[in-house]
Amino acid sequence: MIRVSDLQKRFGQIVAVNGVTFEVAKGEIFGLLGPNGAGKSTTINMLVGALKPDGGEVSIGGNGTPMRASVRRQIGSAPQALALYDELTGDENATFYGKLYGLGGRHLRERVEGVLGLVGLLDRRKSRVSSYSGGMKRRLNLACAMVHDPPLLMLDEPTVGVDPQSRNLIFDRIEQLKMEGRTVVYTTHYMEEAERLCDRIAIMDKGQILAQDTLEGLLAQYGGRAVVTANLETSPPPTLVMPGQLEGDLLRFESDRPVQEVARLTTEGLRFRTLRIDRPDLEGVFLNLTGRSLRD
Amino acid sequence: MRSILALAGKDLKLLYRDRFGLFWVAAFPLLMALFFGSIFSSNDGGSRALKVAYIGTGDSARVASFRDQLASSSALLVQTMPLDSAQGLVAAGKLVAYIHYTDTSTGAFGMFGADRPSLEVGMDPARKAEAGYLKGLISQAYFSRMQDAMKPETFRLVLDQQLSSIDSSADLSGEQKGYLKGFLGQLDGYLSTFDAGDSGRARAGSPFSEPDMEFKDVAVARPGPRSSWEITFPQSLQWALIGVAAAFAVSLVMERTRGTFMRLRLAPINRLQILAGKGLACFVASVSSAVLLLSIGVFIFGVRISSPLGIVAAVLSAAFCFVGIMMFISVLGKTEQAVGGAGWAMLLVMSMTGGGMIPLMAMPSWFAGLSNFSPVKWSVLAMEGAIWRGFGWGQMAMPLGILLGLGAVGLAIGTIVLSRTDG
Repeated sequence: MIRVSDLQKRFGQIVAVNGVTFEVAKGEIFGLLGPNGAGKSTTINMLVGALKPDGGEVSIGGNGTPMRASVRRQIGSAPQALALYDELTGDENATFYGKLYGLGGRHLRERVEGVLGLVGLLDRRKSRVSSYSGGMKRRLNLACAMVHDPPLLMLDEPTVGVDPQSRNLIFDRIEQLKMEGRTVVYTTHYMEEAERLCDRIAIMDKGQILAQDTLEGLLAQYGGRAVVTANLETSPPPTLVMPGQLEGDLLRFESDRPVQEVARLTTEGLRFRTLRIDRPDLEGVFLNLTGRSLRD
Repeated sequence: MRSILALAGKDLKLLYRDRFGLFWVAAFPLLMALFFGSIFSSNDGGSRALKVAYIGTGDSARVASFRDQLASSSALLVQTMPLDSAQGLVAAGKLVAYIHYTDTSTGAFGMFGADRPSLEVGMDPARKAEAGYLKGLISQAYFSRMQDAMKPETFRLVLDQQLSSIDSSADLSGEQKGYLKGFLGQLDGYLSTFDAGDSGRARAGSPFSEPDMEFKDVAVARPGPRSSWEITFPQSLQWALIGVAAAFAVSLVMERTRGTFMRLRLAPINRLQILAGKGLACFVASVSSAVLLLSIGVFIFGVRISSPLGIVAAVLSAAFCFVGIMMFISVLGKTEQAVGGAGWAMLLVMSMTGGGMIPLMAMPSWFAGLSNFSPVKWSVLAMEGAIWRGFGWGQMAMPLGILLGLGAVGLAIGTIVLSRTDG
């Protein structure tokens, strides 16, 4: 569905995107995960045709570059900045964007009603956007991207600044879109979102993709081992082979199979006052790849 | 085209919902027109009386009497002068009309027979409203001169008194009494013909019929503004155009700063269509404001448009020019504050130098050269040309051409710069 090869973009002396290459299959949710300034939005702006790459290629649906209007017609884009008209109603915003994509008449009215219903804004459709909450505006932003029924959606940080209720609704709708067979490119700096939604994830930093794979693949390759931390209730039996270093009553060790290891220690007479198992996650992946936290 | 209409419709809806913006586009220009129009009106000498010339021929006493009667009306300012001077001043638009009164009759009142006084009124045939008004004023003056003396009932009372006093008069001889009784008896009989209500032939020679009044057309070479409103409404139109241009220039930069312009570019339309939509909305808003103000001027304040096609051409050309100016202003800065500030500053200078605030005729002569650089000057000139200057298409060509040219240049600069700044 999407093929991106060696994408380059500079803004003056700043290299925003440097040699980004990836492919997205039809019906897949592909995540671009990275901290602010990693180059995610610049990449997605080149994917939707808002920015012209300095180098490399973007091909959408086998039809070529998104700089062509016929290619952009297949794309629904929800930009990170809320691109809505505050003095128009939700209904008028969606209708306006539908008209720009050539929709009209009864079909347009049905589509507007459909997408506003999908994002839970039917009851507020006649209210001006200026009266909406941040979460409602985000949902309307998504609705406007979907009004022309595109097979491909580009969502740039669609949950920034929204309340948990709206966030969950947006997640549900994106999962619904995937079930309908749509392809989604999703940028975020929240690892929980990427973990929940994305079939494959590309880790971006400083304009480059550091790694890309399924969640399991990334964790296996770059996540490291699980870390077990425990406070012991009693001293360990002298015959017990300890899996890690003991400092006072604090035991800490790494393991590929932490649950099985804890079970063995219990069987051999060790008692725990507290026990914590830290499994590898995307935060760990990013840390291992860059030496920095995602939230830095 | 559908996309352009959708974009224009969206912008017009946004303008309509922006009450503050609407004030600058419609209410403020109207207030300017009313304010300055009222000031200039009150400076017309404190009077709205019709200025007329009076020419009298014939019996000097009756000529003077009729002149005094006309002058006694507060609705007329009467100046006595020779006929050729009067015709010249009316043709130059300095006077509303001339009134030529001819009274060569020999009778006591000079009005019982065929040689009644005649009146010739010369004026611009386009001034139909004033013609009717003036005719009424002249008739009023004509009748009021004799009405007291010549009312039949009043006059017959006098006759009765005189007849009864003849017999008792010691100063008159019998022969004289006979003649007088015969004369007054005949006059009594004459007056009774009016009592019988015999109209037509009897009235034709009566002193109570309307004066013989003939209106003559005077070709007005250069009419000049007929009221202060004809100066202030074309000026106020400039404020409407300026308000629309400023509002849309800021809205265009708002689209860029708030991300909607980027989103528009993601749609399957090109940049020219986006700008065309914005331009079309600006054009429609400009024309609508102009039509609203002109309608108020025409239907409420009596502004008369001498060339309807000319005013259409002037409004359309000026609107196009200000669309170009709007596009140019929108690229003067990257923020709403920068564009709003720079835009208003530029437009105010254009207005000041172009006669949008104070008419250029009230400015020093060296200012005329400076004003040539302001589109406001050409817009005012085109509109005045169609309203009261009496411009033909040849004279209209220059201001219209300059307006269209400036609009095209502004559009080109704005479009090129916008294309470069947004990748």
